[in-house]
Amino acid sequence: MLHALRQAKAQATATVAARVGIGGPVGSGKTALIEALIPVLQRRGVDFAVVTNDLVTKEDAERLRRSGLIDPDRVSAVEAGACPHTVIREDPTLNIAAGDELEARFPGVELILFESGGDNLASTFSLDLVDWWIFVIDVAGGDDIPRKRGPGLLRCDLLVVNKIDLAPHVGVDLDRMLADARQVRGGKPVIATNLKAGTGVEAVADAISAAVLFRI
Amino acid sequence: MLPLLRAIWQADAAFPSGAFAFSYGIEGALALRPDMSLGEFERLCAAVLQQRWASYDRIALQRAFRAGRDLDALAAVDREIEASTMIEALRAGSRRNGASFLAAHARLGQPLALKLRAQVKAGDCLGHIAVMQGAIWAALQLDEQHAALCSAYTVASGLITAAVRLGAVGALQGQSVLQALLPLIDALVATPLDDDAELESFIPILDIAAARHVHAELRLFAN
Ligand SMILES: Nc1nc2c(ncn2[C@@H]2O[C@H](COP(=O)(O)OP(=O)(O)O)[C@@H](O)[C@H]2O)c(=O)[nH]1
Ligand SMILES: [Mg+2]
Repeated sequence: MLHALRQAKAQATATVAARVGIGGPVGSGKTALIEALIPVLQRRGVDFAVVTNDLVTKEDAERLRRSGLIDPDRVSAVEAGACPHTVIREDPTLNIAAGDELEARFPGVELILFESGGDNLASTFSLDLVDWWIFVIDVAGGDDIPRKRGPGLLRCDLLVVNKIDLAPHVGVDLDRMLADARQVRGGKPVIATNLKAGTGVEAVADAISAAVLFRI
Repeated sequence: MLPLLRAIWQADAAFPSGAFAFSYGIEGALALRPDMSLGEFERLCAAVLQQRWASYDRIALQRAFRAGRDLDALAAVDREIEASTMIEALRAGSRRNGASFLAAHARLGQPLALKLRAQVKAGDCLGHIAVMQGAIWAALQLDEQHAALCSAYTVASGLITAAVRLGAVGALQGQSVLQALLPLIDALVATPLDDDAELESFIPILDIAAARHVHAELRLFAN
């Protein structure tokens, strides 16, 4: 009896994919992070799919589909009705439905990444939609960004500070920016990345695996 | 008062149902006529209510409302919508909005929503928004007339919100249009509906705009 129950529970959980959000300002590197994560997740044998929330048509979805990195059918696009905030927070139902639809089409899927259309530092993901979420900022936005304490930056489960290669070119003191970020986040994780070179991508994949896939 | 309160709950734009992402063809129409005046915009909204909502969505909504929990009857109305909506963008938009609406009610644990979601998943039902609203609102014990008001009101307020977000009308200009549309909604809902009324919808500018919208390079709304 107990065994049957456990089995039923295992089956029920096996059909439900972990849902991870990737938010942050436009141009910070959200799509680049997904592009960098794809081969790492594939190498680790993770069965995953992606939902993009483009502000304008299906730009990001098409970019991922054409990348040749992932089966194009595993990328779904949700148009955000000019409201990138709303579609991940006040009304996440389009995204929830897109995730359900991917789960139905790919029964083994364990992880679904949701890329936000991107807007300002105030954007956060509804916990109805995702189990865990990443916020991506970049150094070119300025080293005072952490001190502005936007809800996105404070509340996310993982903060990614991207484009560290650009720090010397934009006059940003990277160590100080990272220290400020860790301080305002009360010690919650911060990872520095250079997605052009792949720096930090394994660490982001480790964080996702540990948080929602329960693999270390 | 409870049935009325339930209708207000469902008509509230704060209820997450995906509706905000659909422009009912307005985005395409504004692209065709970027200099549309407020008066023309109001007439276009009235045309949507009269020529699409009243003769199409409302009929599907009422049939679904009366079908209640009869899944076969609901699937039949659903297939009729699919067959009689000529424009692919509107057909796909209606299905996606229906899926979001169902996702919301399924998450809230509504038993019929869970069943319908399984049907859509299995391909036994397509899940058009008007049919899902009719079925779920009956299950939530809204009054039939309130359900019709709720449906027409959400279409009207959706048109206006879309136009405001596209920058075509101001937030208060939009509300003046919505206020002017209320008597029309009232009159449309008060008109009795024949049991054998056929689904009909034809608004040339919106149909053409929606058809062109599919190919638009730059668009914010799903339809
Ligand atoms: N130098 C540098 N450029 C990057 C890095 N990551 C992303 N970019 C570039 O930044 C731009 C925006 O990236 P994208 O992923 O589209 O941003 P999104 O809007 O957040 O999805 C693109 O031109 C990327 O090539 C990085 O680590 N270093
Ligand atoms: Mg992007």
